[in-house]
This record gives sequence, C-alpha cells and structure tokens, in this order.
Amino acid sequence: MINLSINTAILISAAVAILTSLLYLREYFLRKKIYQSQRKISQIKLQKIAQLLAAAEEAETQVLAEGSFATKKLLAEFKIQLQNIVKDSQQSINSSQNQLIKFMERLQDTSARFEEASKISGEKRINELFERLESKISDFLIQTEQKTTSSIDLELKAARQLIETYRNAQLKLIDENIVAMMEQTLNLVLAKKLSLKDQLDLIYEALEKAKTEKFIV
Amino acid sequence: MQDLLNSILKDTYSISELKHRLRILKNYLSESFFGGQKVELTGVEDTNWLKSLPAQFFQSINKDNIYNIFTNLEADVKKLTILTMYLTFEPDTTTISQIGTFARKNFGPSLLLDIKFDPNLIAGTALVWKGNYQDYSLRSKMAQKKEEILESFKKFLR
Repeated sequence: MINLSINTAILISAAVAILTSLLYLREYFLRKKIYQSQRKISQIKLQKIAQLLAAAEEAETQVLAEGSFATKKLLAEFKIQLQNIVKDSQQSINSSQNQLIKFMERLQDTSARFEEASKISGEKRINELFERLESKISDFLIQTEQKTTSSIDLELKAARQLIETYRNAQLKLIDENIVAMMEQTLNLVLAKKLSLKDQLDLIYEALEKAKTEKFIV
Repeated sequence: MQDLLNSILKDTYSISELKHRLRILKNYLSESFFGGQKVELTGVEDTNWLKSLPAQFFQSINKDNIYNIFTNLEADVKKLTILTMYLTFEPDTTTISQIGTFARKNFGPSLLLDIKFDPNLIAGTALVWKGNYQDYSLRSKMAQKKEEILESFKKFLR
C-alpha cells in the first residue's frame, strides 16, 4: 500500500516535473519571441530616429540659414527704425528743451515780476505798518506823557499839601510853644512884678466887664 | 433872722470866712450860754469881728433859740448867691474885703465870694456864676489876641 502510494507520488511528481518543464519551455520560447520582436521594433525605431535626426539636422541647417538672413534684415530694419526713433527723440528732446528753456525764462520773468510786486507790496505794507506804529507810539507817548504829568501833578499836589499840613502843624506847634513860653514868662514875671493894686485893678476891670456883659445878673 | 445874717455878712465877704465866723460865733455863744470848752480864736481879726457885732445881735440870741437860729442861719447861707473867683494870688482878709466891697457894690449886698487859687491865669480873674465859667484873666486876653501877639513876636524875631 505504501509502495503504491510512493509510485503514485513519483508519478505525480514526474508528471508535475514534465508539466513544469513544458511550461518552462513554452515560456522560454514565448519570451524569446517577444525579445526578438522587441529587438526588431527597436531597430526600426532606431532607424526612424536616425532618419528623424537627419531630417532635423537638415531642417536645422535650413532654419539657421533662413534665420541669419532674417536677423540681418531685422537688424537693418531695427537700425533704421532706431535711427529714426533716435532722430525723433532728439528732435523731441530739443523741442522739449526749448520749451523748457522758454518756460524757465517765462517762469524767471514771472518770478522777477512777482518778486518786484511783492517787494513793492511789502515795502508799502511795511511803510503803512511803520506809519501806524508811529502813530500808535505817538498816541501812546502823548497819553503816557499826559498821565505821567497828571500823576506827577497829583503827587506834587499831595506832597505840597502834606508839606503844607506839616508846616502848618509845626507852625501851630511853634505858635503854641511861643504862647506857652510867653504865658509862662509872664506868669513868672508878673507874679513878682505885678503889685497888689494892679492885681485889684485887673479884678475890678473883670467884674465890671462881667457886669457889662451881663454875665452876672 | 435876716438882720442877724446881714450883721454877719456886713464885713464878711467870702464863703469860707462866713463859715469860719459862723463856727466861732456859735462856739462863742455856746460857751457863753452853756460853758464847757473855751473857744480858741485864731487871731485878732476874729476877736475884733466878734466885738464889732452890734449889741442887739447878741441880745436877740439866748440859750433857748441858739440852735434854731444857727440852723436857720446855715439854711439861709445855703440860699445865698456865691460868685466863685479864681485868683492868681492868695488874698488876705483886707484884699478880700476890698474885692467883696466892690463886688457887692455892683451885684448886690448879700453876694458872697468863693475864692480859689489858679496861678495859670497869669493875672486878673476868672469867674463862675451859677455854674457858668468865664475867664477874664490875662491868659484869656492873650488867647484872644494870640494872633496879634504872635505877629508882633514874629516881627520882633525878624
């Protein structure tokens, strides 16, 4: 039983090996065929590429030849155009420069006239200002002088009044002192020199006067 | 009563003198009627004055009416008009008599003087009558003529 199985297995293995070999061979030939076809295609492609390169080179040469001419032509045209542009620009610049110079001259002229007018106007205003200032200063000085004079007059008047008051007070004081001195002197002198008869005469005189004046009724 | 007062006032001119004389008279009469302390007279003047009083004066007073009489006399004295005189000296009795005689001649017989001393008056007198003061002294005259005096003095100084 076991032998049978081994044989079967060997048979199966052999069959599988054969099948595998067949499949391998088949695959080998298929791949070889593909490789050959691919190599053939590649060769065709290479040929085509070479052809294309040749055509391209030829076209390039042609293009280069054509381009050089066009470039020269374009350069010539460009030069002419550029010369025209430069010429136009120079004219334009000259014109602009002239205009600018004229404008500057006009501007200078205007500025000079404006400056002159400003100067005249400024001088006029300054003169007016000075006149007003002079007038105001004059008025101010007159007013100040009047006020000062008035103030000085008042001060003088007050000072004179003060001096007069002081003088009068002092004179009054001196007068009082004189009178007091005289009274004192008389008192001292008359007390010694006046006789009793004189005293009595004065008293009688006083009584008569009191009677005359009706002081004693 | 008026006769008694008139007798006393006859030679009495000042209020101080009157009071003095009334006091010595009262003391003298009291001593005469009732005895007791003897009256000390201040001088000959008092004695002379007592002697100068008339006899009727003493006859009208006795020990029964003496106090009434003096009470009435003192009351009457208060009613007398007094002239106050400010003098610059102290007058003696004679001078007071001279002034009093002159004053009574001008203002009435019962006038009494009240003599006061004021040396500031310089000379003359100042009077007070019924409360009013009037200066008739030399000081007053000087004050009235103060400006003239000052002017004269100033002229003298120049």
